[in-house]
Amino acid sequence: MENIVELKQVVKEYPLGKLTVRALSDINLTIEKGEFTVIAGPSGSGKTTLLNMVGCVDTPSSGSVTVRGQRIEQLGDRARTQLRLAELGFIFQTFNLIPDLTAAQNVEFPLLLQGTLTKKERQRRVAELFELVDLTPQIKQRPNELSGGQRQRVAIARALVTQPGIVLADEPTANLDSVTGLNIIDLMKDLNQKRQTTFIFSTHDQRVMQHAQRVIQIVDGCLSEGAPAS
Amino acid sequence: MRTYLIIALRNLLQARRRSLLLTSALALVTALLILLLSVSAGFNQTLIRNTTALMSGHVNVGGFFKNKVTDAWPMINDVAKIRKIVEENTPGLDFIIDRDRAWAKVISERQSMFVSPSGIDIQDESQLPEVIRLAKQSEYLEGGSDQVLGNLANLAKPRQALIFVAQAKRLGVDVGDYLTITASTGAGRTNTVDVTVAAIAKDFGFMSNWNLFLPKADIHDLYQTTDDASSVVMIYLKDPDQAEKVMGHLRGVFEKEGYILMDHQPAPFFFKFETVAGEDWTGQKLDLTIWSDEISFMSWISQALDVISFSLIGILMIIIAIGIMNSMWISVRERTREIGTVRAIGMTRFRVLKMFMTEALLLGFVATCLGTLLGTLSALGIDAAQWQIPSEAVRAILMSDVLHMPVSAAQMIHVIWIFTLITGLSALWPAFRASRLQPVTAIHHAG
Repeated sequence: MENIVELKQVVKEYPLGKLTVRALSDINLTIEKGEFTVIAGPSGSGKTTLLNMVGCVDTPSSGSVTVRGQRIEQLGDRARTQLRLAELGFIFQTFNLIPDLTAAQNVEFPLLLQGTLTKKERQRRVAELFELVDLTPQIKQRPNELSGGQRQRVAIARALVTQPGIVLADEPTANLDSVTGLNIIDLMKDLNQKRQTTFIFSTHDQRVMQHAQRVIQIVDGCLSEGAPAS
Repeated sequence: MRTYLIIALRNLLQARRRSLLLTSALALVTALLILLLSVSAGFNQTLIRNTTALMSGHVNVGGFFKNKVTDAWPMINDVAKIRKIVEENTPGLDFIIDRDRAWAKVISERQSMFVSPSGIDIQDESQLPEVIRLAKQSEYLEGGSDQVLGNLANLAKPRQALIFVAQAKRLGVDVGDYLTITASTGAGRTNTVDVTVAAIAKDFGFMSNWNLFLPKADIHDLYQTTDDASSVVMIYLKDPDQAEKVMGHLRGVFEKEGYILMDHQPAPFFFKFETVAGEDWTGQKLDLTIWSDEISFMSWISQALDVISFSLIGILMIIIAIGIMNSMWISVRERTREIGTVRAIGMTRFRVLKMFMTEALLLGFVATCLGTLLGTLSALGIDAAQWQIPSEAVRAILMSDVLHMPVSAAQMIHVIWIFTLITGLSALWPAFRASRLQPVTAIHHAG
């Protein structure tokens, strides 16, 4: 299988006043195409920092992060932005939809940034995704008119609309009730299987981990591979 | 672009109170600027209309004649030939007239004053009767009737004078009274003519202080000149904006024809007596001017109006620019997480900048359009109402009894784009800072 993400000896340090906090220590990790991977660990363990590295929104203090064959620490801001737009989809804990746009406009937004499809093609793809996340009746509603679960479905549709190779989800179920949370995970797993999209998401919820193909434990910025919880 | 506009519009609507406050402030300043500009435009229109009716053509071919070095006589010989040259060589010519000009003292039984009498042929004058409005007797004489006395047509007869209300008040005369006009002739003697007040016209602000009209023959008698002499050929163009260009062209033509020209000096002829009298030459020199040269000493009014307008608007705009900048900072702060999100999903820094600039430009555009509409309607309303200016001093400065407030489409467009641009520039720094936010910190912003 193709290695879609590769981290080698990654260290991430943040200055905190006169101190330096080490968020990630000597991380070595390879993720293959089509994996459904969970990064698990308690709060403050470095899950989000690790996702930020893979998501090209942050760069390592040392070591290398390769995403789709590109060393992100060697890329400038513009190139990293292009990489995110073309290859990555993001799902956030707090949904992070643009409140001013309708659900459909939110999903269409990354396509507008890409600027490669015609309006008709964009509308067709958006409609398909709404069908996929089972949200067609809510297509014209604004985020504040949707429930938490519906918002996260819109966020998933937005993450998938550009047909990225990797979807990153930072605690996607943290703000949802348990039933809705599991439904969202089921949906993501279903999409992973149908589309062969690589999913990497962070959680500290044991029930969510059960659904993962691979669980990577992180504690105090250090990795330890584990089997999916049974 | 549509998405940017939707985001901008919805954000503005979301911060309704802030947007409304800024829009109102910007609209009011825009309306104020439109009003001030229309007062200035009205003044300039009145100025050009009055000037070209009372004392100048769009282009003038005047000059001085010197029998001896110390003379400065505002007359030119063989006017018929000069008129012919002008007629044959002026592009965009509408019509021409010639007038005599003098610098003289006018004396009544009670008072005297220096004036610049113009010798006219009332039959040839087309503009003057259009702008002259005769005054009621009560306007210049205490206890006078509301009847208009005198008649402009009387100027066709010799020894008649048209004066203005301010002069009538100062000299203490009425229609039918006598005045004595005295001036130095070309031969260095002092000559006088007695004239009757044929009519008294309403004032034209400051211009009424020194203008006075006589039949041409009276000026010839005063200066003891022949009929082929005159003071100035006044050229009226179809497009007055071409005046400077036409003057330049005519200078070349007259030089080619062998005339000697004075260096161009943007001043009225009566400001040049001393200079000409001090120059070491005799004979005749032509002096070409345009209408604005003849009233250059009054350009301070227009400049003062503009300085007052732009200073006032400048101060208000600085206050509003600070308000817009502050509002944009608040907007950036409130939407930091949104910035992080859009950056994470692939929006470039430039597009973030564009997103915030669109918001500011939209606010600026809507506000200035509303302000322009408000200002234009107010100006047109005041103009249509022929609002009487209560202050005599203001009337004198603006050279009109009523407030004339025209607004041109070009003026409106300029105000809209300049103010929208200023609004955009005010938002540039906050928008730039927003675009420089790191997505990783912006996404997790808690504000």
